[in-house]
Amino acid sequence: MAKKDEIVQKLEQILPKDAITKDDQYRSGVALSAQVPVDKLREAVAQCRQVGLYLEAITGMDFTDGLQIVYHLNYPEPRARISLRVRCGHGEAPPTISDIYSAALWHEREVHEFFAVSFKDNPDLRRLLLPEDADYYPHLKSFGKVHSYRKWEEVYG
Amino acid sequence: MASLIQEPVDDRIYSLNLGPQHPSTHGVLRVLLKLDGEYIVDADPVIGYGHRGHEKMAENRTYEQFMPNACRMDYLSGLIYNHGYCLAVEKLAGIEVPERARYIRTICAELNRISSHLLWFGAYVMDLGGFTPFLYAFDDRENILDILDRVSGSRLTYSYCRFGGVARDIDEQFITATRAFIARLRSRWSDYHNLVTKNVIFINRVRNIGVITTDQAQRFGVTGPSLRACGFAYDMRKAEPYEIYDRFDFEIPMETASDAEARYLVRLREMEQSCRIIEQALDQLPAGPYRNDKVPFKVKPPKGEVYFSFESARGQTGFYLLSDGTSYPYRLRARVPSFSNLHVLVEVFKGTLVADAVSILGSIDIVVPEVDR
Repeated sequence: MAKKDEIVQKLEQILPKDAITKDDQYRSGVALSAQVPVDKLREAVAQCRQVGLYLEAITGMDFTDGLQIVYHLNYPEPRARISLRVRCGHGEAPPTISDIYSAALWHEREVHEFFAVSFKDNPDLRRLLLPEDADYYPHLKSFGKVHSYRKWEEVYG
Repeated sequence: MASLIQEPVDDRIYSLNLGPQHPSTHGVLRVLLKLDGEYIVDADPVIGYGHRGHEKMAENRTYEQFMPNACRMDYLSGLIYNHGYCLAVEKLAGIEVPERARYIRTICAELNRISSHLLWFGAYVMDLGGFTPFLYAFDDRENILDILDRVSGSRLTYSYCRFGGVARDIDEQFITATRAFIARLRSRWSDYHNLVTKNVIFINRVRNIGVITTDQAQRFGVTGPSLRACGFAYDMRKAEPYEIYDRFDFEIPMETASDAEARYLVRLREMEQSCRIIEQALDQLPAGPYRNDKVPFKVKPPKGEVYFSFESARGQTGFYLLSDGTSYPYRLRARVPSFSNLHVLVEVFKGTLVADAVSILGSIDIVVPEVDR
């Protein structure tokens, strides 16, 4: 069985049915996209690790009504990328996954310094790319000049 | 009082700064090493000296205006980044690209891959103390720079691709020069192997040094030649064929030793595969327009997102674009391979000699401005 199908099966057991969107055409570059509740995140990521996926990137996104954090995971076989999405309010702290994927140690540091997300139980949240005494969070849309700042529904709806 | 000002000193552990100005770090990378004698007990890469905020810049620029930024992240394979960014936007906006342009882009991207690997080859051997191969590699690389300079106008940060094509058409002289270069490079392989690959000093510096286990590669998300040296024939050009890579007959070089020598061999063989791709592309090169004239002045992709992944010289790279329907990206994220490939060194460095750390750092082939973005 391809790893992609294996992970779909495992995620379907954890997550509610309508949370998973499959895309066999690979139109947006992922085979599967799942909206994950914050309390299910660690469980879902642990399943990915067990199947053997690697963590590609953690991306933060700022909307007027909260943040979205996207975890991209992949496996060394054709078209196997999946994305897990977590939505949380400004100032909320989603759990860390750095004990499951070591790569998340740096990716979470990066999201923290850019979006002011303090991942719960992350052992090391020093600044990574910014100066160590930086007291600003540059990727928040309230920082600097940006073209637009919208609600999540306006972009995804 | 002194104990308040000074941190307690463990007289057995010695702290050493590798960089930020060390010649072997290829850019401003600083690695804070904790040493027990000659052995490394802990390593902490300190990055961000070259952080320019490309991702933030994108939110205040139109898709066209961001074009020169893409090739400045990884300045050694700038054309591949430029190409990848164009492909990502074209996929998001649904822009058609003429056949001839797709061939031209592929040829130029593969030439850029060879030039990046040649520079790495020369610089790596120089890190290990051999000066002559560096000059050989730069002599060869200069040919590529001349070829690409003629069509794109720049030698390093090529902004040659456009949405729906390329900036300028190639001519007969380009084709003749490229074919001559490939013939010349092929005649050099035996020199390279005799000078470096079979050199006992080189072998002693790379064999069984810096082994990345499969588990480490998976936990840290290592990709590119470093992953292919661990026994995974994983390359975006085959795994998610983009542009026209599915039309060519080429192989993904693979090694299983996972050490610095394996990574060296993978890269050397990759150059030969790039030569094969270029030759086939030149043979099949169709006539026709080199640019889609119907692309609007301001590209306005519909609402939605795309994660476009491609293979740069250093590994799997991705542009993640989120569009809110305007001509400015709502969010642009660049997934860069060197970031993950450098992070794994935190574990690989443990227990090795300082002298080997230089060899391992070189074998990973990081580009620091790409890590810092």
